[in-house]
Amino acid sequence: MRIQTLLLLLCLALLQFQAYAADRPPPAPGMVSTVPGADLWREVRQRDGMIIDGISQVKGVDTGVLINAQGDKWARFRINNPVKHAPTVIIAVVLVLLLFYVIRGKVGIEGGLSGRMVLRFTDFERILHWTLAIVFLFLAITGLVLLVGRPLLIPLFGKSAFSMLASASKESHNLFGPIFLVSLLMMLYSFARRNIYEKGDLTWLLKGGGFIGKGHVSGGFFNMGEKSWYWLVILVGLVISISGLILVSPNFGQGRVIMGISHVVHVLGAIILMAVSIGHMYMGSIGTEGSSEAMKSGYVDINWVEAHHDRWAKECHQKDQVISAEEFARLQGTSLDRANVEATEQAK
Amino acid sequence: MIGYLIDGPLWYFSLAVFSIGVVWQLVAIIFASRKTDLSVARGSASRGAIRNVFSRFIPHREIAPQIRVQVVAGYMFHLGLFALLFFAAPHVIFLEENFFGFGWTAMPHWGFILAAQFAFLGLIILWLRRMLNSVSRLISTLDDHVAAILTFVVMLTGCLALLEGFHELRLLHRFTVELLLIYFPFSCLMHTFTFIPSRAFTGAWFGRRGIDS
Amino acid sequence: MSERLQKGLEVLRAEVDSKVQSFFSSCVRCGVCAESCLFYTETKDPRYTPIYKTEPLRKLWKNEYSFWGKLTGKLGMTKAMTEADLADWEELVYDGCSMCGRCSMVCPVGVDIAMIIFKVKHALAVAGFSPEGLVETTQRAIDVGSPMGVTLKTVQAVIKHVERDTGLSVPMDVEGADYMALLSSNEIALYPEYLESLVKIFDHAGVSWTLSSEAFEATNSGLQIGNKAIAGQLVQRVVDGAEKLKVKTVISPECGHAYTALRWEGPNFLGKAYSFKVVHILELLDELRAQGRIKTTGMETDRLTFHDPCSIVRRGGVLAQPRNLLEPITENFVEMTDHGSMNWCCGGGGGVSGNERAEELKHTAFNRKKSQIEELKVDAVVTACSNCRMVMEDGIEANEMDMPLLGLTELIAEHLAEDRAE
Repeated sequence: MRIQTLLLLLCLALLQFQAYAADRPPPAPGMVSTVPGADLWREVRQRDGMIIDGISQVKGVDTGVLINAQGDKWARFRINNPVKHAPTVIIAVVLVLLLFYVIRGKVGIEGGLSGRMVLRFTDFERILHWTLAIVFLFLAITGLVLLVGRPLLIPLFGKSAFSMLASASKESHNLFGPIFLVSLLMMLYSFARRNIYEKGDLTWLLKGGGFIGKGHVSGGFFNMGEKSWYWLVILVGLVISISGLILVSPNFGQGRVIMGISHVVHVLGAIILMAVSIGHMYMGSIGTEGSSEAMKSGYVDINWVEAHHDRWAKECHQKDQVISAEEFARLQGTSLDRANVEATEQAK
Repeated sequence: MIGYLIDGPLWYFSLAVFSIGVVWQLVAIIFASRKTDLSVARGSASRGAIRNVFSRFIPHREIAPQIRVQVVAGYMFHLGLFALLFFAAPHVIFLEENFFGFGWTAMPHWGFILAAQFAFLGLIILWLRRMLNSVSRLISTLDDHVAAILTFVVMLTGCLALLEGFHELRLLHRFTVELLLIYFPFSCLMHTFTFIPSRAFTGAWFGRRGIDS
Repeated sequence: MSERLQKGLEVLRAEVDSKVQSFFSSCVRCGVCAESCLFYTETKDPRYTPIYKTEPLRKLWKNEYSFWGKLTGKLGMTKAMTEADLADWEELVYDGCSMCGRCSMVCPVGVDIAMIIFKVKHALAVAGFSPEGLVETTQRAIDVGSPMGVTLKTVQAVIKHVERDTGLSVPMDVEGADYMALLSSNEIALYPEYLESLVKIFDHAGVSWTLSSEAFEATNSGLQIGNKAIAGQLVQRVVDGAEKLKVKTVISPECGHAYTALRWEGPNFLGKAYSFKVVHILELLDELRAQGRIKTTGMETDRLTFHDPCSIVRRGGVLAQPRNLLEPITENFVEMTDHGSMNWCCGGGGGVSGNERAEELKHTAFNRKKSQIEELKVDAVVTACSNCRMVMEDGIEANEMDMPLLGLTELIAEHLAEDRAE
């Protein structure tokens, strides 16, 4: 017992040494290290890659691990990679798109919009999309606060305000996470069938989706770009969700190593989705003429369909699904038909 | 200073506006003019009234498939909100200290979170539907949007304060609650109470005719 | 403010009662009512959403009874109602609503939307915003006694035929009879078989009954146009006739609005309870059947279904009787998927069938009834309202469907046993 205590005290003393030694350059090859207990210390620090699980009085997950070498690696990785680069990546994407808009401009439709419309997305599909979008944006913002808040926001708000912001972000990020997963699964259920890759998708890709050079590119209901974005969202989204669930419920035996890996995977996935979603938001709003209507009323101009999804356009014509501008206005509840107009005239 | 106002005078003011407002509105509605129906009833009006108050919780089979979103999201929101309002631990304590003098068994923390998730998802879906569906878009009023957004903000500020470690976050939540309480009696949120006489009136009307509505 | 607008607003104001206040306080604009309304489901035009049709009354309630309305009023910032607020709703309320009441069945907060729409109709009618066709028929009803111009002479001609064909006599103006039967113009003009069936059944069952030469018309145009004063006036004629002949009960014929006007709304229009009872012909027939006074023979072998007339079944309560009456005489009866109190309207109620301007919309709305019928693959449809019958025959013809429509009373008469029940 006494010997063990002495040994422990020795190790603790050595800890001080090691902390100091970390700043010193490693010993040149050929030199024999004269630090006492170096072998023991090497094992404890898992330098040879072996994770030693010690014995402790308290029994639980990771209680036998005296020092988590991985943890240090993880902390460094986090600071040097996602934290450092996430803001850059996001700003870079925004700038590239801005540049693209300035140079290429809005991708227009030959002949412009016709006013004749076709139903692309039902009420439910649009509700799903916007639910996922809103929840994702909220998670992205709160997630970024948690990721880059310390270096970026403390200088702005000060420590006590930031700690409040961080607490608020953490609580709400954790609560909304599972909502994201549920929304994602509903998106999977609703849109999977139309996103299965098919003949013609490779051609679309090889032609750069029509962005490279001029000329039509054939597409189905969803073109290859859209399908790939969809599967990226689903797959990366699932990875983020599952790693998020692991992170938010540490009561299932996850040790620090799993938590560290989950966190890295979570953050990298999130950055990927944030970056690509900015591109998606661009394309769906100012980037392409006629696209934004799809997620608003659910209807799109037939000229837009011909321009971007000609194989689907053929179907629409076959099934006689194209409606006139008047019919579209009527379905939106914005028409005053003849009888009403007459009555109004009479009343005047 | 602000904290003093929010925990003090504004709280009492909002409570007063809410309670007096709700009672006033209900009294005004129920004691407004009403003509006795002089026709001979076939069935019981009172039975129809009471029955209808409860039967309308379940949509008619004939229409259920068309209104799935409203029903599912509606119940997710309402049940989630009810659960967290009255059975989340911080609320149970608050109600005990400020109103009833006694508490009751609260949900476990994970139950609180789950209820909140249902409530949030339900409300988001409902509000999005209101804006995306052409019928709701046509008939919705400013009142509907304000009520939805205000309710969402109350829930969100509550979520932000979940750690219960920052009095500013708690105050923010309480402040939004006070805004909601003041807005309540003058808005469509009154349906919380008026749905009962409303369903009862119609239930009575159909009940006199012997129809289960 | 124009006189029309003033009149309209006065009526709207008078229509705000406890129910209206409770309804408008509860509506949260959920849109469920739209899915129950055939004018919406068949056109997908959001303006036919039932609660949207109540806008004129809601605006008045908001301006004059709600907190915000009263506040903005005091501040002089009210958005005052204009004639357009009434005029623009004429088409929605008269062409796009048959007063079927299906919306009132589904509202999650229990709003009786059909009732509020009727209040709006009342205001529009008084303010003069009603379809020409309905204004004309109502005037005719007041002047001549029938919206279709049917006079006593017409009735007497029909009676002659009936007496000749049946060998039975039609009692007229018999004081002290138990029952006074009414007829609708539709039945007199288009379906005189109804009267013939009555005569046969009453003779078979030994019912003491009579017609009234002064009060034979059941149709209430006032109800269709929404003018409560006129509706009351027309009901008063029936009351006078019934009281003059000192009958115990008045029989409302197979006409939906007649039943609503006479049985349920009449006493309220007149502000006075009746001294006699009112029954729908189906109620009486069912009573007689239960008492064993109607003996039937043979069964209809065709595959049949029943169309529930809205004003009689859902809004009238005569739900079980048609089924009880059909059961002994049909072998192959099937209910529509949406049947009984949740059946769909034929599309012609509420004055729609008398509104030429609404012809196209009415035909579109009929698509719902068409799909209901086609789904069942029946041989014929039975119903118990002459207006429904007329509207459905019209729709069936327009859609080139081969589908006979049978009147329930006639069907029973056809199956009367030779020997009477005791």
